[in-house]
Amino acid sequence: MSRLPLPERDGGGRFPGFDSASQSKHWDAATQSVVMARLGLPVDVRFFTPAEEATARALLDQLLDQRGEPRVPVVHLVDARLAEQQTDGWHYDDMPIDGQAWRDTLAALDEDARARYGCIFAEADLEDQEAMLRSIQERGMEPWHGIPAEHVWSLWTRYACTAFYSHPWAWDEIGFAGPAYPRGYKNLGIDALEPFEVRDARPGADPLRAEKEKGRA
Amino acid sequence: MSKLRERNESAWLLPPTPGIDYRLRNEMRRFAPEEEVDIAIVGCGAGGSTLLQRLARAGWRALALDAGPFWDPERDWVSDEAGSHQLYWTEPREISGDDPVPLGSNNSGRGVGGSMVHYAGYTPRFHPSDFRTYSTDGVGADWPLQYQDLRSYYEDIEGELPVAGQYWPWGDPHGYPHRPHPVSGNGELFLRGALACGITAKVGPVAITNGRFGNRPHCIYRGFCLQGCKVNAKASPLITHIPDALAHGAEVRSDSMVTHIEVDQHSGRASGVHYVREGRQYFQRARMVAVAGYSIETPRLLLNSTSQRFPDGLCNDFDQVGRYLMVQGAPQTAGRFDSEVRMWKAPPPEVSTEQFYETDPGKPYKRGFSVQTVSPLPITWAEHVVAQGYWGAKLRAYMSDYVHWACLGALCEFLPLEGNRVTLAQEKDRNGMPIAHFHYSQCDNDKQLLGAAQEVMEKILTSAGADEVITIKRYAHLVGGARMAADERHGVVDADCRSFAVPNLYITDGSVLPTQGSANPALTIMALAARSADRLIDGARSGTAEPA
Repeated sequence: MSRLPLPERDGGGRFPGFDSASQSKHWDAATQSVVMARLGLPVDVRFFTPAEEATARALLDQLLDQRGEPRVPVVHLVDARLAEQQTDGWHYDDMPIDGQAWRDTLAALDEDARARYGCIFAEADLEDQEAMLRSIQERGMEPWHGIPAEHVWSLWTRYACTAFYSHPWAWDEIGFAGPAYPRGYKNLGIDALEPFEVRDARPGADPLRAEKEKGRA
Repeated sequence: MSKLRERNESAWLLPPTPGIDYRLRNEMRRFAPEEEVDIAIVGCGAGGSTLLQRLARAGWRALALDAGPFWDPERDWVSDEAGSHQLYWTEPREISGDDPVPLGSNNSGRGVGGSMVHYAGYTPRFHPSDFRTYSTDGVGADWPLQYQDLRSYYEDIEGELPVAGQYWPWGDPHGYPHRPHPVSGNGELFLRGALACGITAKVGPVAITNGRFGNRPHCIYRGFCLQGCKVNAKASPLITHIPDALAHGAEVRSDSMVTHIEVDQHSGRASGVHYVREGRQYFQRARMVAVAGYSIETPRLLLNSTSQRFPDGLCNDFDQVGRYLMVQGAPQTAGRFDSEVRMWKAPPPEVSTEQFYETDPGKPYKRGFSVQTVSPLPITWAEHVVAQGYWGAKLRAYMSDYVHWACLGALCEFLPLEGNRVTLAQEKDRNGMPIAHFHYSQCDNDKQLLGAAQEVMEKILTSAGADEVITIKRYAHLVGGARMAADERHGVVDADCRSFAVPNLYITDGSVLPTQGSANPALTIMALAARSADRLIDGARSGTAEPA
């Protein structure tokens, strides 16, 4: 079961007792060192300035709904990538390279927060932060601070999801066992599980269905 | 010894245990930069490695340079999505257009083995119709060669990879050397859904060993094909062509970024390549140069290789370099089942259909699409969920449902358009060379294909019992950018991949393709390179073409 706090209504507790990292002795050495490092003390923030770090933390907490401890140290993982210029290998030509784009958009978030709420983004109420982000997302290709909002959204969510879903605690939450070499899988097929996999305790908890039923009610 | 082993012994040169045989690399022949090699090949992916292996076997003094590392799969590759970023070309590139195409992990490799290190492993042939879409359908372009010219090369490469799959009823019907693999939950649902709605689907064709092949072991179905196959079961030139090339006296010079192709101003012939290795600049002399850097880096290198004779870039007299670059529309549709699918178990490439590949006269659009299983790992799956507009608590809730989803992907034959091209950007890389700018927009036919493919995938999944479906629009593969044509006003190279402008300069990668069909391009790129190699070897023997 994931160490990450997640209420049942948001998909928490579906894989009781499941612990992907407990299988690490079955992984090859190269993979072990890469994955297990994510469970250790994160590298200090070095790319973001303190002001940027505060904004980035609030933004990433919102995007990934991390509301309490323990957290996946997403801000450290994003910061490390930017410090190492580990980009996706492309950027939109209406945006600067990723590092600068992060700096610019974090500053723009603070500018908006000051104008709307008289404080920096990180100090705004969670509901106000959420409303600000939703308004940016809903702009689509309309520019936000001179850049198509969709391109900004893409930058933020790509970095956020890559960091969060690289972490074994996030895998535990979704039932994914992670690395599978050199062991491989022996039970392929529908509803066929390996001995170390854990079945979903709430297989009917389809979020789409839940939404539909709420709509009907 | 089998005929196959006489042609390419790579699988027998690998150790019988995981990993690589360092002896071959340590004892590799090494040419000095001032020594004139018979051929310098730029790029060690599908096209470059195949050419290198064929020419080395024929006795050529052949050298291939690659900007990336000479991989050791056991040491360098991991069973992990985020930890595999070094497999991709992540030097800066700019994208633009109405439908900008993300590069990097999705379609761009680096290092010895190229993008085939992280491709899924699908290796379908092109259909005979792909070579004459303009004559038959009035769209795209006709190739200066026909399917029949490539057929025997397809067969050879299918044996060397080797390819596993069911008898293939589409295009030019044919069988495969290895039996089809067993399928996982995802493949099972595709087959079930297709059967229920009257669509023919088949298992394969994938370049993954089914049974031992030389010293390569059977696939272990661990599902991380896109992160590099540590097992040595999935084919990439690193294990299918490079070992044999080294055993026959070829050199692979890794970590060497070629920045400029030199052309002698007197003779108009290529005389070698400038490259940067470990921060130092070198010039490698060569009697012949072949560029195989794929659809972004090949045009970029040509455009950066300016000279008095070629002020607008090498081979660019008629403004053809970088144009007609294609991607396939690759929407992915996922379906939700109460059963556990766990689609990440087993290789993503399992089952496909080419029933919709050809032009259907009853439809308003030309050409078609194929449908294949794809099985996104968590980070890529999160991209699907985010594309539906979810973030925060809803993103986490959707992601917690991961075990219940099956996922199919289409490959839509987007048409080659003049304006979809690579140019040089203002921005420079760490070697001071202008980076590539890739502009891409879809045409109406492309958009109609996307819609049609989504409809078919939704039908298959709902027929299999899915109660919900979601679709994300994506792209896959790159081809074109320095296409082959009948003459220099319509393309950069001829049917043998020889450039029109410089008689001893070849382009042997995916950038020469004039159309792309709905097939994954790796097999065709290798077959074309093998054919070019044959022409070069024949020419050398008869003394009519280039002296070796």
